[in-house]
Amino acid sequence: MTSVAAPGRARETDTAAPARPGRNRMSRKHREWLAAGLFILPDGLGLLLFVGIPMLLSIVLGFFQVSGFGSYEWVGFGNYERMFQDPMFWESMKITGIYVVVLVPVLFCVSLALGLLMKQRLPGTGFFRTALFLPYMISLAVVGLLWKFMLDDQVGVVNKSLHALGMDGESWLGEPALALGTVIAIMVWVMMGYYMIIFLAGLQEIPSEYYEAARIDGAGPWTQFRSITWPLLKPTSFFVLIMSTVAAMTGGLDLIFTMTQGGPANGTSLAIYYIYTQAFGFGEYGYASAMGSFLVLVMVLFSAVIFKVTGSGRFDDDR
Amino acid sequence: MTASNPVAARRRLTGRAGLTVLAVLMSVITLFPFLWMVTSSFKTRATVNDGKLIPTEFTFDNFVYVFTEVDFGRYLFNSFFVSAVITVVALFFHSMAAYALARLRFPGREKIFTLIFATLLITAPVVLIPLFMVVRQLGMLDSYAGLIVPAIFNAFGIFLLRQFYLGFPRELEEAAIVDGCSHWRVYWNVVLPMSRPILSALAIFFFLANWNAFVWPLVVTTDPKLQVIQTAIAQFASQSSSNYNYILAGTMVAALPMIAVFVFFQRQMVESIKTSGLK
Amino acid sequence: MLKDGKGAVPPPTRRRFLGAAAGAAAAAASTPLLSGCGGSAKADGKRLTFWNFYGPQKNPDPAVNAQAKWFTDLVAEWNATHEVKVDLVFVPTGDYTNGFKVPSAFATGSGPDIFLLSPGDFLRYSNGGVLQDLTPHLDDGVVEDYGDVLNSRMVDGKVYALPMEVEPLAMLYDVGAWEKAGLSEADIPTTWDQLLDTGDKLSTRTRAGFVVETNPGYLQNFMWYPWLWQGGGDVVDAGGTVVFDSKAARQALQLWGDAVRHGIMPRTLPAAGDVVSAFKTGNVGMWQMGIWQVSSFKAYAPKFKYGIFRLPVPPGGKYTTALGGWSFAANAKGGNPEQAAEFCGWALGRTDERCVDRMVQWCTGVKSDIAPRTSAVERGAEKGGYDFWAMKKFKDDIAPEGRAEPRFPPVVYKAVSDAVQGVMFADKGVDGAVTRAAESIEAFMKSYQGASLI
Repeated sequence: MTSVAAPGRARETDTAAPARPGRNRMSRKHREWLAAGLFILPDGLGLLLFVGIPMLLSIVLGFFQVSGFGSYEWVGFGNYERMFQDPMFWESMKITGIYVVVLVPVLFCVSLALGLLMKQRLPGTGFFRTALFLPYMISLAVVGLLWKFMLDDQVGVVNKSLHALGMDGESWLGEPALALGTVIAIMVWVMMGYYMIIFLAGLQEIPSEYYEAARIDGAGPWTQFRSITWPLLKPTSFFVLIMSTVAAMTGGLDLIFTMTQGGPANGTSLAIYYIYTQAFGFGEYGYASAMGSFLVLVMVLFSAVIFKVTGSGRFDDDR
Repeated sequence: MTASNPVAARRRLTGRAGLTVLAVLMSVITLFPFLWMVTSSFKTRATVNDGKLIPTEFTFDNFVYVFTEVDFGRYLFNSFFVSAVITVVALFFHSMAAYALARLRFPGREKIFTLIFATLLITAPVVLIPLFMVVRQLGMLDSYAGLIVPAIFNAFGIFLLRQFYLGFPRELEEAAIVDGCSHWRVYWNVVLPMSRPILSALAIFFFLANWNAFVWPLVVTTDPKLQVIQTAIAQFASQSSSNYNYILAGTMVAALPMIAVFVFFQRQMVESIKTSGLK
Repeated sequence: MLKDGKGAVPPPTRRRFLGAAAGAAAAAASTPLLSGCGGSAKADGKRLTFWNFYGPQKNPDPAVNAQAKWFTDLVAEWNATHEVKVDLVFVPTGDYTNGFKVPSAFATGSGPDIFLLSPGDFLRYSNGGVLQDLTPHLDDGVVEDYGDVLNSRMVDGKVYALPMEVEPLAMLYDVGAWEKAGLSEADIPTTWDQLLDTGDKLSTRTRAGFVVETNPGYLQNFMWYPWLWQGGGDVVDAGGTVVFDSKAARQALQLWGDAVRHGIMPRTLPAAGDVVSAFKTGNVGMWQMGIWQVSSFKAYAPKFKYGIFRLPVPPGGKYTTALGGWSFAANAKGGNPEQAAEFCGWALGRTDERCVDRMVQWCTGVKSDIAPRTSAVERGAEKGGYDFWAMKKFKDDIAPEGRAEPRFPPVVYKAVSDAVQGVMFADKGVDGAVTRAAESIEAFMKSYQGASLI
């Protein structure tokens, strides 16, 4: 982390200097307020400028009919009315729903299992970790391409292997329902190493003394998992759950691009892909913005529920 | 403890062997498609997608081409520079913000966190055009600044770090504060060093995400000198021929530095846990 | 925002609204950096940008390099003789045709001055008011020289885009596979039934009998229209009436649907869509493809034996095919629309020899296409550009009775696409698919205000 030190040192004097004279006059509480403000400021400003304002503009756009060539016409809730009557949008929401409901739990379980496995400090653990993380290192477009080769109806290695075993091959990307499942499986393959690392980081936070104590008490692996790992891993689990849900609802565009382009027969037309098509394919930015804002709203409601249930993801008693 | 109980020791040994086999199996499953990419990058254009793992016509030409005919060095440098700057600055900003949100007490903390968190829910394709406008108004189109600055700010890192800091033992900071350290010093001398494992993990994520970034670099730059590795790879495909062999060779070249970065940082992750002496 | 056009500061219309809002927000949140921003990137109108997917670039394919050189030579020649200079901006094909960059630029008023336009996008751009009228920049007789090819690029008798190429569709087949299946040249199918029969004979476990585009998109629709037209069907007639619900549409959908169901037509593209290697590795019997593949075969599989035949026709049908191809267009909302239009006219719309030769060089020298102007076809033929058997076949047999790729707007495209995809892959009944598509096109046409779809 020496690379961080250089800019950091310079800053240290900047912020420390004005704080010092105030130390006597400012109460400890107010100093904490000030420090917090300064700590949050850079990110806060950046997020406001590069995420907040674009989102606000996008919400505004949702109330306009946009030609895609810079002409705007106020239509009020027209785009939203259109959205509620657009069967394709609801179809894409349904597909997104299936995608999320299948992908998120599967990904969660697989990554957690891998995280636990990697924690065992097995021989060659560095190699395993690298191998499992490897899929995430390639761009999604190339991942899509590779799998297209391997899932080729005629000469793909998957179907060829099935043939060798005396089974019939499938058109993995050519049947609407199957294609969605294939995309989900590939997504798990890509992302499991990523969440494995996050789980691993969380697992390493758990003091090993706890496990030693449990072992002395004669607790088996399952009991250890249930009474130590699971409760102490809750902040990480919460994080993984919510992040993978958000990622599932808003990501995967590159994979759909290379693999299916929303097909066959709209079978993999996720909401985000449909929104992309409307905006960048058809120039319907107003309509796309309305649908995008709606999607954000759905996610806000969803996370509000999770936050309510878990108390903002705080699992310590410091509230 | 284990030495005193040979039966349990043996059982644990076989258990570990089983787990190792499982790990090998999982690694093979993930590696196989990757292996496919490696061997395919040595195939000729006509056989690149012939469905065979071992190339029938083995060739180095794809790599020779990538390095001699295309300015790959420059694109690699651009990607490295952009990703490295984003990673370093983002880690610094995010850890500061996350520390404040997790540890400092101030009015409106939960509200600010909720707002920051909410930015995670925003879908990229929807804000792309407004973001493009903002960046244009800031005069950052077609520049390194345009590639770097908008990519720094992402609530993902703040959220993950906050989760991490929530689990920090409070005693450490409090001892430091009682000693009269400013909040900055607590952060810099106590919190930051203890964050090394998580920062290493995040560094990998940030670096990779930006190394693989494609849409934003494509949209924000038109100057060929500012091209990054992923947009360069995309150029191998032309209207009538896909040239998958060159795409795969280019991807191989782009992936190798990433593997190096990963190996480096994952060692950091493990080592820093050993040396932090906390746990 | 201050320097939007040369001498013509646009009134603060609503289209400036977003830019202004973004600017105000940006200015409020950081240092004011407004000066010199907004509008076209080259706002002074002295330099024009020309976005394209050919050059300048370096590509492993020598043919693509030659195409890139054609573009750089073109621009160099213009720049040597004109005061207003043109800069080429290369955008990779996939991102140009199906990506974020070009739409983002146009939507924010920073689109290129000159650009390449596909038939499928024509109406959207034309109705959006970004296409500059090129008619005043064409020499006399050029419109006639182009002939019917120009129809789909005209609105109210004015030319808004100049085609650089014509790309007809035909059936390509593997001669080796053909012979192995016991077929001879006499077995070349001329009817749909024969086509399915032949496809069936060519199909093996590793070989797809008859391939068409499987991915949803403009390309798939482009490939499907000839089958619709051959039975006398269409989507919309010249008067704007929706005529999609017809026997012709039903049988064309049925043909593709049946072919998929009987395993003659694959559900995904062999070799991830790489035509040459799919043929070369023996995974394809027949593939409905465009003339552009001729140069790919020349470059990458010169010894591979393939054949070409006309798309077969349904009972009582009449042969036709679809003619694709891109054109040059000028941005009416750019920094200097007049000069941008002049560039297009100068490049492709002069009667002098240089201009005609340029088109000949493009269509038969560096690409394998039919030239859109009669004079260029003739001159290309004189120069031996169509001597190669495949080019000759396309020029004399495939293209003549063809029809330009339609310029249907997105809603119409999508309705047709959903019908095709539904019948092919989701076992949707043909009747339902046709009715649904016709209904949604009709609903769209009721409120459509824009140039004629035909």
